[in-house]
Amino acid sequence: MSESPALRTTQLGKRYGATWALRDCTLDVPTGSVTALVGPNGAGKSTLLHLAIGLSRATTGTVEVLGRSPISEASAVLPRLGFVAQDHPLHKGLTVAEMLTYGRKLNPTWDDELARRRIDELGLPPSRKVGKLSGGQQAQVALTLALAKRPELLLLDEPVASLDPLARREFLNAVMEVVAEHGVTVILSSHIVAELERVCDHLITLTEGHPQLVGRIDEIVASHRLLTGPRSDPSSVARVHHVIRETHTDRQTTLLVRAGGHVYDTCWEQHEVDLEEIVLAYLGYRPGVASRAPAAREVVTS
Amino acid sequence: MPAYLQLVQQVRQAIRLGILQPGDQLPTVKEVVTSLTINPNTVLHAYRQLDFEGLIEGRRGVGTFVSADPVPPPPDELKSLRSSLERWVERARSAGLDDESIAGLVGDALRPSTVSRVA
Amino acid sequence: MTWVTWRLQRTETTIAAILLALLALLLVPTGLSMASAFHHDGLAHCLSANPSNACGEKITAFQTRFDTLFNLTNWFTLIPGLIGVTLAAPFVLDLEQGTYRLAWTQSISRRRWIAGKLALPVLVAVGSAAVMILLITWWRGPYVQLNGRIDTGSYDSEGIVAIGYTLFGLGLGLAIGVIWRRAAAALTIAFVGYVIARIFVDSWLRDRLVSPLHGTWTMTQAAAHGKPPQPAALYHAFVYSENIGIHGGSGPAEAGLPGKGASLTYHVIYQPASHFWPLQLAETGLFAGTAAVLILFAAWWTHERTF
Repeated sequence: MSESPALRTTQLGKRYGATWALRDCTLDVPTGSVTALVGPNGAGKSTLLHLAIGLSRATTGTVEVLGRSPISEASAVLPRLGFVAQDHPLHKGLTVAEMLTYGRKLNPTWDDELARRRIDELGLPPSRKVGKLSGGQQAQVALTLALAKRPELLLLDEPVASLDPLARREFLNAVMEVVAEHGVTVILSSHIVAELERVCDHLITLTEGHPQLVGRIDEIVASHRLLTGPRSDPSSVARVHHVIRETHTDRQTTLLVRAGGHVYDTCWEQHEVDLEEIVLAYLGYRPGVASRAPAAREVVTS
Repeated sequence: MPAYLQLVQQVRQAIRLGILQPGDQLPTVKEVVTSLTINPNTVLHAYRQLDFEGLIEGRRGVGTFVSADPVPPPPDELKSLRSSLERWVERARSAGLDDESIAGLVGDALRPSTVSRVA
Repeated sequence: MTWVTWRLQRTETTIAAILLALLALLLVPTGLSMASAFHHDGLAHCLSANPSNACGEKITAFQTRFDTLFNLTNWFTLIPGLIGVTLAAPFVLDLEQGTYRLAWTQSISRRRWIAGKLALPVLVAVGSAAVMILLITWWRGPYVQLNGRIDTGSYDSEGIVAIGYTLFGLGLGLAIGVIWRRAAAALTIAFVGYVIARIFVDSWLRDRLVSPLHGTWTMTQAAAHGKPPQPAALYHAFVYSENIGIHGGSGPAEAGLPGKGASLTYHVIYQPASHFWPLQLAETGLFAGTAAVLILFAAWWTHERTF
């Protein structure tokens, strides 16, 4: 890594009462990447994003965004961060134009021209009250507020969860345009994997507060394989590869593995696996549950 | 297949079929991103690959263009490969393989593998 | 940030303004008619050193005429609470609707946002109370000239206590609202709390702020025709209780009237007019001080507990 990471966490943990929402989270998000933060509901995605933007305070460990602490150095780093919270909160009683004025008054780095141009291109009437816009339009307004700050890092918490497919596509398109034009680093969380593969180049999976899979998507896909063969014991494979998931029928055994090197085991037929399949296998992989594979709480590729 | 390779193939195909002529300007990264909603890195990677293969060239400050001389494999080589292939397919068919199995064999041969397969 | 806090509070401030406007709508015409009746009936003269004999009747007539109105306006003491609680709404709604997550991720620090968002309602609360006090003090003018202003109906709309009441309503709304982040429910509870606190202070605590005085007056029977003359100390005072003791006297007591030669002793517990400002200051201090604690609590809770 020639540049310092956009986000760096070290043993980051957050506890609410007796529950750990996030635990032992150590990862880097490289500058310029578009990272998908994936996991089931309650896995800790929002928690991680809130810790990164300074809405939450860590219980253990540290978090740095753009090299700074989001809490103790908030005034220095907040103007460089864009954030859209879950359900994109906006003041429903304000008009679109007033919402932009809100952004302008509260952000020294506000680019008003960019904001107005976006609203114009999106065809949003400036005098319409935000509460009267559709869900997709509100999401776009929230995104505009975040983008007009000219942030270096954009954090999006389930930005498309409540949107219809067309609105989703338009939203992600807007994000991609900004990445193409300005090289913004993006972290967006979602519990839907399918459409993230075309938009993201990095991945973080979270399950029950733990990160499991962290790395470049193309490397993840290239390093995982589906092995099929007659029903048998996977232990010989497990000695060399990480077995992420094993399923058995009467006649067949299927293993999803992260390849650990070359093995000449002629029993197995190998296939490529798509990202969604890999992610699903990891999300079903419970730390601490007895399995044949060596315990792999955190799997990190470069 | 990785997304960038799909893009590479599309451009290659377009050049081969003459849809893209030498000297034509390729869309900018941003234009591709906007029309396909894909990661800009994917487009950059694809363009880099095409550049490496000599099919396109970037002109600083102007854009990316189809190379004046896209380098195809020499025509004799192509012809000889073609006839060998036809003979091999004949052999496979008389051995009893259907089209799908033949395609599977070809696919396996193309794929880099870390675990070998039993024939 | 001023524009933002103002714009986000516009509705609630307008509600407060409308309440005051409705108040003015009621009070201005009736106040004018009261003032003119006061002058027309020559009641100002009745308050001078030598009132005429007809004054007693004139005063009674005046009071009877506007009696209903005076009773109605005793309810105005709820308005400061209503305004205060309403002004707490924007802050609580910010938490309820999650827009604080928008505000705290712009470029402004959480502390500055909270301070700014609390400063404006405090200012509007004080301002609204001042307007209300001015309006009601003017309106009640004739009544106060007749009866003084330390009785409960006048006392809590005159002076400065209403400022304390309004701030207290605001503080209570904020404190409950930041814990129970549902504006409608929390503010309703806060208003109920305001009413309970007011009743408690009015009926019990006020006397412990500035103690009432005890007075004993004796007067002979001869002077006791009709209404006994008021001791100067009781002028425009608020009397809690009076006990009349009858001493001596010969002859039969007829129908409650003392016998010949008897003397009457009055034991009176009262707040004199001179206690008006001490009570006002003490009570305002109490309510405003509590309000300050509540507001600071709301600020602290929001800052720390939303982490």
